[in-house]
Amino acid sequence: MTRLAAVYVKELTTYFRSAIAYFVVAVFLLGTGYFFLYNIFLTGDATMTGTFQNMGILLVTLVPVLSMRLFSAEYGAGTMELLLTLPLRPWHIVVGKFLGAVTILLAITVGTFVDLIPLYLFGNPETTTIIAGYLGFVLLGMACLAVGQFFSALTHNQIVAALVTAAVLLGFWFVGHLQGFQTSAVLRGLVAHLSFALHFSDFIQGLVRSEAVMFYGAVCAIALSLNVGYLKAQR
Amino acid sequence: MSSAAAAIALESVSKRYGSRTVVQDVSFTVERGEIVGFLGPNGAGKTTTMRMIAGFTAPTAGRVTVAGYDMATQNHDAARLIGYMPERPPLYDTLDVSAYLRFVAKAKGVPRAAIDAELERVTAACHLEAVVRREIYKLSKGYRQRVGLAQALLGSPQVLILDEPTAGLDPGQIQETREVIRAFGEEHAVLLSTHILPEATLICRRVAIINHGRLLAIDSPSGLQRAVEQTNSVRLEVTAPAQAVRETLGRVPGVRGVDVHAHTGNHGVLTVECRVDPGDGVEAAIARAVAARWDLHRLERQQPTLENIFLRYVGEPRAEGPAA
Repeated sequence: MTRLAAVYVKELTTYFRSAIAYFVVAVFLLGTGYFFLYNIFLTGDATMTGTFQNMGILLVTLVPVLSMRLFSAEYGAGTMELLLTLPLRPWHIVVGKFLGAVTILLAITVGTFVDLIPLYLFGNPETTTIIAGYLGFVLLGMACLAVGQFFSALTHNQIVAALVTAAVLLGFWFVGHLQGFQTSAVLRGLVAHLSFALHFSDFIQGLVRSEAVMFYGAVCAIALSLNVGYLKAQR
Repeated sequence: MSSAAAAIALESVSKRYGSRTVVQDVSFTVERGEIVGFLGPNGAGKTTTMRMIAGFTAPTAGRVTVAGYDMATQNHDAARLIGYMPERPPLYDTLDVSAYLRFVAKAKGVPRAAIDAELERVTAACHLEAVVRREIYKLSKGYRQRVGLAQALLGSPQVLILDEPTAGLDPGQIQETREVIRAFGEEHAVLLSTHILPEATLICRRVAIINHGRLLAIDSPSGLQRAVEQTNSVRLEVTAPAQAVRETLGRVPGVRGVDVHAHTGNHGVLTVECRVDPGDGVEAAIARAVAARWDLHRLERQQPTLENIFLRYVGEPRAEGPAA
């Protein structure tokens, strides 16, 4: 446990000693604030539904910036040689890094709570729907980070890692839109199952479905296992 | 594992990347209390061999064991016994020196209560006191190198693997670093690679010479010297006809071969190179034979330096290739 914690603390410290974490948090909070005001004034409804929708797409586009350095920077600095020869198991490295990135995600999440203050002051929002939305947001973010971390492990180039992650995440986000084009029910079902956006929209409507929770959990598990497997195979 | 196991043991180790063989059939051991120098030109396979010992990469064939642990399968168990400094110091530029060393200490499993003392010990040993609070990206090359060494010393490993530990240091720092390594090597096993030949003679009990992925020799510096002295040489300058000198020297007992070169710019003076048997009497016999008939200007026995030994084993230095 102390070894996992060592990787986690190191990862978090590196995030906060570089500009990236501040940049991502700032852009995200500014963006969310803008969408929040826009949605409130446009609809006149005191809900987070529209804002959550926008937060989702904002997250999918910003996660690659957060995840790109997780492994690529280690290759670039030659520190992978240190990590793999320290008494750390590959899963210590993978999970420690992942938790470091998830902590930034949680910081972003907590930052958006600012928007809830006017919502509760001037309106009467449904607390359970908001909690469900935030749960979905964090799960979506974790799945995106796990995917981004895996692609970061595949390349020495941070830009390549970010671009590939963005392409893949946007693909998974928009894949649900293909539903309308499918005539076969099987394909329609498959496309709906794979869609990050459709599972997320369940949450923001206040629906915590075990299938959606399991979906994001499975994405994390698969991406992180591939990541561990890749580190082992590299030897 | 058993205490009888050598600190480092390589048994017929090979490493191939695709069709390229980087290390071929290398076997040697390093015992506790011994510093072994690893000598070879760039691209000889030193770094790859050290990476296999450190467990960063697994051999394609053969077996690497550290304190009895097989590094191909039990590298995680052995890792806590190994301090490894790669060729390029593995540093996190944005961390300060103390945060970096703290991370490595925790990852090595140094108990929380002992971390501060351990950090103090290695910063003192590597003369890093002045920079502990500084971010690593601000450090000079010499300091970066020593932070890399400090990292390897954390947790008092039984085995220390150092890839070019003195590269990029100034002479004073090299001296200090050698002292650190020498002190450490009294009770632990140290394998260090170097380009600097005198370094190997100064601090290593044994020297391994590697080229094109093959281990060419491993012996004490003086042992290597003796081996090369088998074909020692005597050089002399003499005013004499070339043919007559060659015949005369060829009859001196202990002389195995004679090369005669005309001395440029000095009419009639020849430079003669004799390959001779080891032993003290030969140059005296040569001197007597030559001086009896001609003017002998100079005579010297060529002492084999480690440079000569090294070049003899690896051949002419090749153009610098990418380090393996």
